[in-house]
Amino acid sequence: MTVARAKSLQTRLLVWVLGLVTLVWLGAAVLTWFDARHELDELLDGHLAQAAALLVVQQSRADGDDDDDDDGVADAPSLHKYAPKVAFQVFHEGLLTMRSSNVQLTPMSDTAAGFSTVSLSDGASWRVFATHGAEHDVQVYVGEQIASRSAILWAVLRSVLLPLAFALPILALVLWWAVRQGLAPLRHLSQVLVQRQPQALEPVVLTDMSSEMEPMVQALNGLFLRIEHMVVSERRFTADAAHELRTPIAAIRAQAQVAQGAGADTAQRDRALQATLAGCDRAARLVDQLLTLARLEATSAEPTSPATLSPRVDLSLVTRRVAADLAPAALSRHQTLELEADVRCSMAGDDLLLGVLVRNLIDNAIRYSPDGARIRVMVLAQDGQAILRVEDSGPGMTAPEMARLGERFYRVLGSGQQGSGLGWSIVRRIGAVSGGHLAVSRSALLGGLAVQVCWPTPSVG
Amino acid sequence: MRILLAEDDPMLGDGLRAGLRQLGFQVDWVRDGVAAERELMSGEFAAAVLDLGLPLKDGLDVLQALRTRKITTPVLVLTARDAVPDRIHGLNLGADDYVVKPVDLHELGARLRALVRRANGQSQDVLRCGEVVLDPAARLVRFHGEWVAVSTREFDLLHALMLNAGRVLSREQLEQQLYSWGYEVDSNAIEVHIHHLRRKLNADVIQTVRGIGYTIARSQDGA
Repeated sequence: MTVARAKSLQTRLLVWVLGLVTLVWLGAAVLTWFDARHELDELLDGHLAQAAALLVVQQSRADGDDDDDDDGVADAPSLHKYAPKVAFQVFHEGLLTMRSSNVQLTPMSDTAAGFSTVSLSDGASWRVFATHGAEHDVQVYVGEQIASRSAILWAVLRSVLLPLAFALPILALVLWWAVRQGLAPLRHLSQVLVQRQPQALEPVVLTDMSSEMEPMVQALNGLFLRIEHMVVSERRFTADAAHELRTPIAAIRAQAQVAQGAGADTAQRDRALQATLAGCDRAARLVDQLLTLARLEATSAEPTSPATLSPRVDLSLVTRRVAADLAPAALSRHQTLELEADVRCSMAGDDLLLGVLVRNLIDNAIRYSPDGARIRVMVLAQDGQAILRVEDSGPGMTAPEMARLGERFYRVLGSGQQGSGLGWSIVRRIGAVSGGHLAVSRSALLGGLAVQVCWPTPSVG
Repeated sequence: MRILLAEDDPMLGDGLRAGLRQLGFQVDWVRDGVAAERELMSGEFAAAVLDLGLPLKDGLDVLQALRTRKITTPVLVLTARDAVPDRIHGLNLGADDYVVKPVDLHELGARLRALVRRANGQSQDVLRCGEVVLDPAARLVRFHGEWVAVSTREFDLLHALMLNAGRVLSREQLEQQLYSWGYEVDSNAIEVHIHHLRRKLNADVIQTVRGIGYTIARSQDGA
């Protein structure tokens, strides 16, 4: 809906209804015109024929009665104001014997019998009926001006069209009012929406809701519900994030104060300072994770199907790089980090995001496995899939723990490790964004946790 | 003064334990809600610092369980949940104080002392029994206005007795209040400390109730 050129629904309805009414009315007028003309033609033509027949009969009788009639032409006088619009001629044996005063001396029509339309010397169009007597000595023409027929037709048409001219504005007014009444629920809805507080997300409830508006209001309420879910999860995330950040900060503060109050006890002071630094690292890591997650949540709003992630990356390459980065951490805990990523494993995806995912998986394995544990990282390309597998010989997880994995800030108890539980959220998020499928199970080989991520690779390059 | 610290975060728990010990508290540290509830049920602690987001059992559930069983140990809730409804809820469930992380160690110590003091019906932090004056915040003891040097254990013992002035405390009760876990307590340790205190102060200050325990007489003028 563009604001600048928003069309009023009311105006549209009004224009359509009025336009259609006018059209129907005009159609009716046209039909009336044709119908009236047809009837009129039949009636008036009948009159012409009858008048002609009358003249033929009269001439024939006059012929018999009065043989020595002078050769002069009898001019019938004009007795009515409409008389000039009708005319007749009677010829006897080729001679004009009788005519109306408004007509010429030559025959009006070339047609000897039947109807014809001619243009006479006076410039007007005439409808002429010609007939002759039984012996062909009497020829009669009866004509009528076409214009007079048109006048009658126009009069009929006027009686149809004139009310329309008056009725249309009145109809427009009444329709305007009716449409306005009909659209009242819509206005009510918009009023309700306008008066809403921005944070009010409860569903709209209308008492006078029409059936046409129901789907719209339902859709609107559905939208409100989704927004509310989003806002609630956002709020929870903020609260959780604050909680998670407060704890390391509280730890840093407590340890710093312990160092401050240690006095002559240098061993305690050193230990507390060490813990303070570790706390700072932890807080920094948490902030990094939160930012990563926030960025991922933002990207997930955009359409990022695997197909749109056009750049191709080599999963093996990424995994080797990340494993090399994390190897010192594993070594410092006397853990064995095994890497099997020799095959080229090209897949669609973002190099950096994939790196973050691999890093989180291996980092988790190192973090949550005991000293001296074995961690095995594998990259496979099989069945049109790119597969990343990270296994460890750590304590693993129970089924309920696996189910809760990936809830933000969820971490397994008793691990003795400081984590925020955000790593898993990040892994899951990147997995979803890159079109990968994540599976967590118990490692058959090492006995600990096994995490497998599969990406479909339509064309393995 | 023996405090139970219930905090699941290793680094924060470690910092609080060390910090509160510096301030003269005996601190026992548990890392989950079930352990916190079990320990508090014993009633050996003068007060507890309780984190709300505890594993296995939420801090508020622990609090509710305690109060349902009429265990009145003062509980200070230490949490990152700072929303007002959370605070109200916590206090309604029987928390005696509600502190949002991060907290200053000295403030935490002062609040804990205030909780213990109030729980023992005292309105002032400085305790007074006759000529003996004990300042828990400064960890100072005066007798007849003179400063007396006492050891940590002696101070705690005197503190426990003065908090419960007028009541008799058994040797076991005193041991529970003085020693956190992992200490091998000699069977005559309390007697030794009492002996030292009597020598430093006055033999009449702490009275022995034979077969039961020890007591300090409540001041005539009230505390």
